[in-house]
Amino acid sequence: MKLPVLAFALTFVLSAAAQTLPSEKRKNGPMIQEALSPVQIALQESSAAFYNNETSSPFLYGTVVSEDGLVLTKASELELVKDFHVRVGTKKYRTPQVVATDEIWDVSLVKIEAEGLKPVEMGKPTQFTHGTWVVSNGSTERRFRRPRPGIISANRREIPVPGGVVLGVELKEEKGTIIIGKVTEKSGAEKAGVKPKDALLTLDEKTIKKRAEILKIFKDKKPGDSVRIKLKRGDDELTLDVELMSREKLYGRRPTRNDQLSGGDLQQSERRTGFPMVIQHETMLTRNEVGGPVFTLDREFVGMNIAAVNRVEAFAIPSEELPDIVESLKKSAQ
Amino acid sequence: MKSRGIIASACFVLSAGGVFADRPGFNDKAAPETIEDFREIQEALQKGLERARAATVCLQMGGGSGSAVIISEDGLVLTAAHVTSKVGAEITVVMEDGRKLKGKALGLNSETDSAMLQITDDGPFPFAKVDLDDTTKLGDWVYSLGHSGGFDKERGINVRVGRLVRSAETTIQSDCVLIGGDSGGPLFNMAGELIGIHSRVGASREESMHVPLREFQRHWEDLKKGEFIGEGGFAEKPVPGSGFLGVITEEAKEGGLKVTEIWEGGPAEKAGLKVDDRIIEVDGKKATQEALEDRLGKISKGDQINLKWVRGEETTEKAITLESRP
Repeated sequence: MKLPVLAFALTFVLSAAAQTLPSEKRKNGPMIQEALSPVQIALQESSAAFYNNETSSPFLYGTVVSEDGLVLTKASELELVKDFHVRVGTKKYRTPQVVATDEIWDVSLVKIEAEGLKPVEMGKPTQFTHGTWVVSNGSTERRFRRPRPGIISANRREIPVPGGVVLGVELKEEKGTIIIGKVTEKSGAEKAGVKPKDALLTLDEKTIKKRAEILKIFKDKKPGDSVRIKLKRGDDELTLDVELMSREKLYGRRPTRNDQLSGGDLQQSERRTGFPMVIQHETMLTRNEVGGPVFTLDREFVGMNIAAVNRVEAFAIPSEELPDIVESLKKSAQ
Repeated sequence: MKSRGIIASACFVLSAGGVFADRPGFNDKAAPETIEDFREIQEALQKGLERARAATVCLQMGGGSGSAVIISEDGLVLTAAHVTSKVGAEITVVMEDGRKLKGKALGLNSETDSAMLQITDDGPFPFAKVDLDDTTKLGDWVYSLGHSGGFDKERGINVRVGRLVRSAETTIQSDCVLIGGDSGGPLFNMAGELIGIHSRVGASREESMHVPLREFQRHWEDLKKGEFIGEGGFAEKPVPGSGFLGVITEEAKEGGLKVTEIWEGGPAEKAGLKVDDRIIEVDGKKATQEALEDRLGKISKGDQINLKWVRGEETTEKAITLESRP
């Protein structure tokens, strides 16, 4: 995809003669929050606030998925904080335990010592159209979760890993043969034992003569998948299984102008791609405001916020995906 | 094509009026008071959204992209000046389903960031309703559409909701959040009528600036005629003679112009021209020193010049984009 180079002129100021709407009446202002209090009840009951014990500040939300204290949250964000406590409603839980983690969806199941909680009703198929109001956790006080509004803003879809997957080697085309150049440290290729100057003969049983043939095979692969390659090294032929890695993870991500415009690492979730299915909404969230539930105006559970993508996009895991995720997390914990 | 355009604009004038009947009640409250008020906003938005989306397009040119909106059946498009950036520019217009159309930039206002474009393929095209009577007031609920970050077929168009939070003569501000790639996209009121075009953002996330429709109306005919208006910062005014080709030539005995020197890294070299090549045509005319100089004196940097040249048995023809003088 070509990146948009059209930039906005920043910090433009309107003339003093302009009429202005007071901030309390604006979309994210207190009057709107007040009017959403019927939905706030659901956030109060079924969302959890995660607090960093060192700084005493909230750094993440969670979604209550069982009466006896199972809470789902964003794994990669939780990993960054060693020592934390959880609040649900007005109660504080001092000894939360991470039960299991699902790397595909980037969620962790956390157990708190609680009873009689009100879990979200997961599993109902969600077909919310563009423009449907949704309400998420905004900021929080110790005893009170604030609602923040937004609307469903784009098509539901899979979010692939940009840049796709890589072996972790430099490839050179020489007279109809692919020769390995540099092998990247810690890549799947290095771990499997691929060496510079090896000639790549086949990949997944297919003869490879051009780089494009590799890219075609990689199109349907995901990070963690393996490919079988046949190499020629000197006079020897050898067959290796190489684990594919995400290009982004191995080589890093270059921030775009839109990333910069979105506050970069301070505001955007670090893990914001590679989800099997998401609902997109435009609620203004930061990386520390995901993990919680998303509700409609009728307190119907839409899904769980999983990524603050940029200043206009937030992703939620759809409600109907969650029962399977929770079940497999419970199983892997046993 | 031209006559149909005139009929279309006549229809605009005739169909104006009666829009006040559409003004929804939630706009006259300080803020929504109940869940029911939110529901009414949602219903109003969704009622007009399908038509609004169908008319919203992505504009692609060179390496960049922006957004825009079709406002007539025969393909008149409103967008931002910093998106088209040049009168007459050839721009690809992409519908939400991925259909690509050809477009040509018409006029622009470099001071207020308004611009027009005409789709040159044959219509009819889906088009948006327009708030011709400027009925939208401060505090009214609005929504913005755009191809944020560029065209993405799986994602489709991004929609965002907010309120009109500031209003000045040539700029209106909403709290619908915008990002790069939204530039030129449409802002609608809850009757599904176009009220502005996305232009730029402020220091905080919730400051989005749009060019109001009234600013387009003020310069409507000039924009349509392809005028470059004003001397502002949203587009650079073309300066005839400012373009650089990067060759020195002399009249060749056998006719045409022989290249005697070439500027390293200049547009001519990049296009593949070499010393001793013989240029035989300049923009379809016989190449003479006078014809080349005359042509270069009329066009500006960023414009293209079409050259045909001979090397041995081989003839090459290329459109070369002029750069600024080194």
